[in-house]
Amino acid sequence: MRKEVPLLITLIVSIIVMLSRITTGPVPLIGISMPELFEEYISPWMTVVSAFALCLASVNLIMVHSGNISRKRQEWVYSLILLVTLIIYGAFCTYVELNPDNETAAANYSLIYNYILSPLMTGQWACLAFYVASASYRAFRARNLEATVLLVSAILVMLGAAPVGSLIWSKFPTIQQWLLDVPNMAGQRALLIGAAIGSFVASLRTMLGIERSHLGIGGSS
Amino acid sequence: MNLIDKLQNVDTRIIYIVLLITLSIPLLHPIGIPMQINPMTRAVYDIVEGLDPEKDIVLLSMDYMPGAGLDAEVCPIAVVEHLMERGIKWVAISFGTTDGPMMTNRIITDLERRGYKYGEDFANLGYMAGGENAIRLFALDCLSVPTDVRGNRTSDLPVMQGIRTIKDFAFVMQFSASTPEAWIRQVVDPMGIAFATGTVTVCVPSLVPYYNSGQLKGVMGGVSSAAQYEILCNKPGRGASMMDAQSMGHLIIIFFIVLGNIGYFLSKRTKENLAAK
Repeated sequence: MRKEVPLLITLIVSIIVMLSRITTGPVPLIGISMPELFEEYISPWMTVVSAFALCLASVNLIMVHSGNISRKRQEWVYSLILLVTLIIYGAFCTYVELNPDNETAAANYSLIYNYILSPLMTGQWACLAFYVASASYRAFRARNLEATVLLVSAILVMLGAAPVGSLIWSKFPTIQQWLLDVPNMAGQRALLIGAAIGSFVASLRTMLGIERSHLGIGGSS
Repeated sequence: MNLIDKLQNVDTRIIYIVLLITLSIPLLHPIGIPMQINPMTRAVYDIVEGLDPEKDIVLLSMDYMPGAGLDAEVCPIAVVEHLMERGIKWVAISFGTTDGPMMTNRIITDLERRGYKYGEDFANLGYMAGGENAIRLFALDCLSVPTDVRGNRTSDLPVMQGIRTIKDFAFVMQFSASTPEAWIRQVVDPMGIAFATGTVTVCVPSLVPYYNSGQLKGVMGGVSSAAQYEILCNKPGRGASMMDAQSMGHLIIIFFIVLGNIGYFLSKRTKENLAAK
């Protein structure tokens, strides 16, 4: 039963979702159509489950990091910082939500986000420019035909994307657009079609109970 | 280490310092290099220009976080500025990240300082959990979000009057640091809405098939698109101010790539000459 019930639910729900896109009339005995069944019941349930999963993630985070602290595992200090931040931020947010008239509290709450979290995250992103510069210098070598094509395309796209490119030669943006519209699009479409087929196969395996890892009861049967 | 080896193995610290200096100078003293407008960016501008301020309302899906940097943030700022200038009302919601409402608040705070009214000119409906499914749910019933981030009932907000499904919005635009396949699958194709996207520069190549197929009516990609949009609006802002730095950054990267390749070919030739002897 531990395996069969979740697999049955998966099969029934997936059939409803699939049929909701291709049928319109009412289902005998139920009296409502598949699209209605999906939109009125399954769709809201999925949203509730997702919201619940967010809560569960917080609980899981607390449990994992509390364990790190109590057992004094390596780098437990970071777990402590995470938990303290989580508690302070959570308490602050709750206070702001419960006291919507206290504008000062709301402004201070935004300050934490705008002047601590946001600059840290933006700074991390900005560092990518330096890594990209260094990695491009080391990786882009015209060792063979494929590498040369990649190298030349990269330079043309860079020159086409930056305003200085059109200042050097007005055709660089046109070449860049052609590279995006023709060779890039052909490759992207091939990838999309491949991914769609893969996704269909994976869905079918899940529907038929061949793939079971999402139920936490082992991998493929 | 001889010169050829040095050309191939420039110290990372040197690359970092050169790049830092090259990026800093144009940021402090912009040069004002003229820009060409990308057709995908112009398409977004044309859609907003074609909206009717009397009746049209726009939905913005704010699905980016500070981690995506200014590359993600400048596009929504440019579009919102254009919407406000034209007097077009908009509503924001987030599906992709819980940071979305905070990012929207940053834009709203500035607008309120300038006298625009929350609830009348714009609203922030907050984060809706459920990802792709939530997008579909909201599209079918826009009042499925009972309250906005300030605790107001969504149905009572003046800006939401007359809005029941996503088809009641004249234009929908998503801002994220990824690609909008979920929107295309769940809303654009089944419901046939006018939809465009603003994302980070690296995602643009993967969006070209959707733009060329007409599923995306316009695409904005990072700082360069935002700068172009600001130029189209005759309001150069943060995007435009960063474009000179981007140009210089690209030139420096190309310079180092060329340098590395010169070293590589010289070393290859030396090895071939030695082998021939």
